[in-house]
Amino acid sequence: MLIEYMIVSALLFAIGATGAMIRRNFIVILMSLELMLNGAGMLLITMSYYLGNVSGQIMFIFVAAVAASETAIGLAIVVMMYKRKGSIDINDFSMLKK
Amino acid sequence: MTQIVFFILSLGTIIGALGTILCKNAYYSAMWMISTFVSMAGLFVMLNAPFVAMLQIIVYAGAIAILILFVMMLMDRRVLNNKERFNPQYFWGIILGVGLFSDLAVLAFKFRINITNAGKSLTLHGSNTKMVGDVLFKHYLFPFEIIAIILLIALIGAIVLTKKDEEEAR
Repeated sequence: MLIEYMIVSALLFAIGATGAMIRRNFIVILMSLELMLNGAGMLLITMSYYLGNVSGQIMFIFVAAVAASETAIGLAIVVMMYKRKGSIDINDFSMLKK
Repeated sequence: MTQIVFFILSLGTIIGALGTILCKNAYYSAMWMISTFVSMAGLFVMLNAPFVAMLQIIVYAGAIAILILFVMMLMDRRVLNNKERFNPQYFWGIILGVGLFSDLAVLAFKFRINITNAGKSLTLHGSNTKMVGDVLFKHYLFPFEIIAIILLIALIGAIVLTKKDEEEAR
């Protein structure tokens, strides 16, 4: 069963990375980042079970806290860009290129 | 029996993830993301981690998804949804994602560990929550404090980013 759990978490991570690369909507990219963090966290829980050590679950709590703060900052950036440009397409967010 | 439950829950997880990145409407994406999180909470229960499963439902499906939905409700529906769905170079993104998954799958198939004590020492007095609290506040107290400060800094950063500029207000 260990391999199945690892494959599921690898699939979650790869799907999240693909979504972050191919989508244009900033909010969907934030959701893909959540999926990636969850895939990594699921591997932590799997290893915590199969090694018989509870530290992996503690690490997942820390990962969840960092994911919450990252989402808050990302949504603040989305709201700021929406107020400035009236759009949430990431291809419009290229003001640093000029 | 365990295999069947695992199959159903992992299928829900993967289909939810695919729906998150493929749906055109961002509201549907958020709903698929919530289904992914709830299925993953079921997988965590199967891995003897009920405390983390409840944390997953409360923090991810409760707090983060509702935060994202609130921000989407504040925006104009046409701005949110009438753009093109994918980048012009989406083909290379898909190739990179498939390559990443093959890499991780090869690693998973070559991975060997000693699993003789699988599922042991995850509970204290028959409760997983007691064990997590015991280890968290005995061995991981310092990282816990650091995480509290990180959350405070994220709060302050979000407020500073979204407040009105002085020049614009004038």
